Amino acid sequence: MIALVLRRLGWTIAVAWFAVTATFAMVAAIPADPVRAIAPHASPEAVQRMRAYYCLDRGVIAQYGCFVGHVARGELGDSIRQKRAVTAVIADHVWPTIELAVAAVLLQLAIAVPLGVIAAVRRGRWPDRAVNACWLVAQSAPPFFVGTLVLYVLAYRFGWFPLAGYGAGVLDRLHHLVLPAATLATAGVAYYARAVRTEMIDALGEDYVRTARAKGLTEARVIWRHGLRNALGPLIAVAGLNLGLLLGGAVVVEYIFAWPGIGRELLLAILDQDGPVIIGIVLVAALAIALANLAADVVQLAIDPRLRE
Amino acid sequence: VALVAALVACSPVERGPRWRAAGGSSPRDGGTLRFATKDGIVTLDPTREYDEVSGYVVHALRDTLVGYAAGSTRLEPRLAERWEISGDGRTYTFVLRPGIAYADGTPIRAVDFANSLTKARTSADSPFGSFLAHVTDITVRGDRELAITLALPDTSFPNVMAMTFTTPLRADRPELGCGPFALERWDRGERVVLRRNPHYWDAAHVHLDAIEMLENVPRDTQFLMFERGELDAAAPLAAPDYQWIVAQPAWQPYLHTRATMNAFGSRMNVRVKPFSDRRVRQALNYALDKQHTIKLLSGAAVPAHGILPPGVAGRDDALLPYRHDPERARALLAAAGYPDGFDVDYLIPADEEAERLAGSLQHDLGEVGVRVHVQEQALASYAAALGSADGPSFAKVGWLADYPDPANFFDASFHSRSIANDGTTNYSFYVNPEVDALLDSAHGASDEGTRAELYRRVERILRDDAPWLWDYHQLATEVIQPYVQGYAPHPVWVRDYTQVWLDLGANGERVPR
Repeated sequence: MIALVLRRLGWTIAVAWFAVTATFAMVAAIPADPVRAIAPHASPEAVQRMRAYYCLDRGVIAQYGCFVGHVARGELGDSIRQKRAVTAVIADHVWPTIELAVAAVLLQLAIAVPLGVIAAVRRGRWPDRAVNACWLVAQSAPPFFVGTLVLYVLAYRFGWFPLAGYGAGVLDRLHHLVLPAATLATAGVAYYARAVRTEMIDALGEDYVRTARAKGLTEARVIWRHGLRNALGPLIAVAGLNLGLLLGGAVVVEYIFAWPGIGRELLLAILDQDGPVIIGIVLVAALAIALANLAADVVQLAIDPRLRE
Repeated sequence: VALVAALVACSPVERGPRWRAAGGSSPRDGGTLRFATKDGIVTLDPTREYDEVSGYVVHALRDTLVGYAAGSTRLEPRLAERWEISGDGRTYTFVLRPGIAYADGTPIRAVDFANSLTKARTSADSPFGSFLAHVTDITVRGDRELAITLALPDTSFPNVMAMTFTTPLRADRPELGCGPFALERWDRGERVVLRRNPHYWDAAHVHLDAIEMLENVPRDTQFLMFERGELDAAAPLAAPDYQWIVAQPAWQPYLHTRATMNAFGSRMNVRVKPFSDRRVRQALNYALDKQHTIKLLSGAAVPAHGILPPGVAGRDDALLPYRHDPERARALLAAAGYPDGFDVDYLIPADEEAERLAGSLQHDLGEVGVRVHVQEQALASYAAALGSADGPSFAKVGWLADYPDPANFFDASFHSRSIANDGTTNYSFYVNPEVDALLDSAHGASDEGTRAELYRRVERILRDDAPWLWDYHQLATEVIQPYVQGYAPHPVWVRDYTQVWLDLGANGERVPR
């Protein structure tokens, strides 16, 4: 099993490196001048000097060499727009994104698991159809629409939540977190609920469930202890895959709610063609997604001996 | 849920100021002013900061030798008590105000100014070196005298010394400021809190306890927060919000619209056909209906006859913008050999406002037979294309001035010296020896009247030569809560709240309407 994990870890690094190199190639392919964009009035000589400083005055291969050199030294270069180390930019903004993602996943599970179970148990009847309809709406609603709508109705018109920002102190932070986390969770809820429903339907048809019923256990005990427990395994794999979706959504949600995370930093860096920051954040995101999938695999291996062969 | 949301969204809502001024007649101290910005702070390092939002904060944290008088572009002494110009016009001697100190109370010395100037000149990543390119010598005499020698006389030089990068930097603690406020905390990308600096030399004019600025709040959210009273000022207003608020009588006294130091238009590369023919450039100027532009900007703009905005000394206010005259445009095009017009690509930066204006330009020029194909690029790509001699010959351009002097507008944009194949600021590649000579002699002219007359001549030549399609000067729009007092929008410093005071009730609370 250890050999298997190590092999997967090697793949994880290869995947992250591929993602970063592809991003580097895309950034390099765009004919842009980030230095001129941040210093529109500087003299041509000053611009040349700044380009040399950021390694932008050389060919693509040499620029890639610069980048690899940075990574070998454990750094990611300097942000052109923010004029400081990319590692510092990421360190400042990664925590808000983790908070947001964790809150969104918890919300998704809290909503999706009961809904999926209800839909499975009442399969084909109105609760199932109602849940199905809700999924369709939730999955089709883009975060920029949901975000703007809840912002206007719940924050501006009703004033229940703050309109923007990160908050200070635990309670204030949680208060600020509700709307962005709920918006980010919306699309994924359908995803999880569908997975729970499918797995539950399978599980409820299994022999051990029939045995449990035959033993005379209450229906609630049969569903929650015997059915759901077995349905949760595959959900872990779904959670690993879902992280990519979540980080993609975070870009938009963080922008709308002025949440100071790396998703918004990525968007701003793309707008400014701030290559080092784009590449640094993609690297972190790619590593996070690859590691999350690895962790999901390991957990599944640990709980399901059949997969180890 | 959707139905409830739709009902709420469509139901009428009462909107207007919710608070009023308490009625205090003299400025009272205390309170925190809160505002938000669409973008984030890039850096608080004065020798590197070159964007608008960082500028708001750095300007509150730092003071300079000279500055601008309230509400005007007139220079006045700040950290300097006075300055003298040598007979040959090349050496400026600044004498420091006695007793000036940093935010920790330690004294500011003349050598600290030499320190920041040297840093700007020598750092590889400072964009300010070019402003000091013609400085040949910086001499410190004791603690209170700083002499700066230039290669050539330059009457506009004191304006450079009003730019924040010239603020004193103490070598051992460069983060220490000397402005009306001191940095209390900065949560990057989120908020910055500034606290009144008790050691500030002009503390008598500072009334607020603190200023709190939220970063990266989208413009429409900012306006909603302002209406709910979570912010004390909102600017710049998005077009729909501005259109709404100008129609509300209750908000009128609190709405500020003012000229700022900018010019917008389109560059026409005079080296490239068809723009090498002056008649073509004039034809396009006649073809554009600037009233469309103003309407699309919700009225927050004035039509331009050249690059100098209203309020800059030397601007000829009697000069008129090109009138909208499609007949004349067609005649000029025919005379230049384009009776059927021509096809041309038009480069704009990717933003919603530029798109709207490009659509209007496309329509107006189409009326005289010029078929415009709009190309949109992200800002950094657009900037690269604009600065390159091989870039599109027709493109949107703008100039946001570094200081309110004609030299800053004209020299960079129309002097042949500013041409470069890569990274040009003379976007039209315009070469006119007469303009060069006039600009050079204006540089050294010490008499204000003579200087203004030279610049007026340049303005007239450029208006007729039309290296740009002159379009508009954008006005800044801003709304403040009724209890914010003493706010006079400044033509140079945008969102400068350092001297306002809050007219609150006796308990320090806002008084409801």
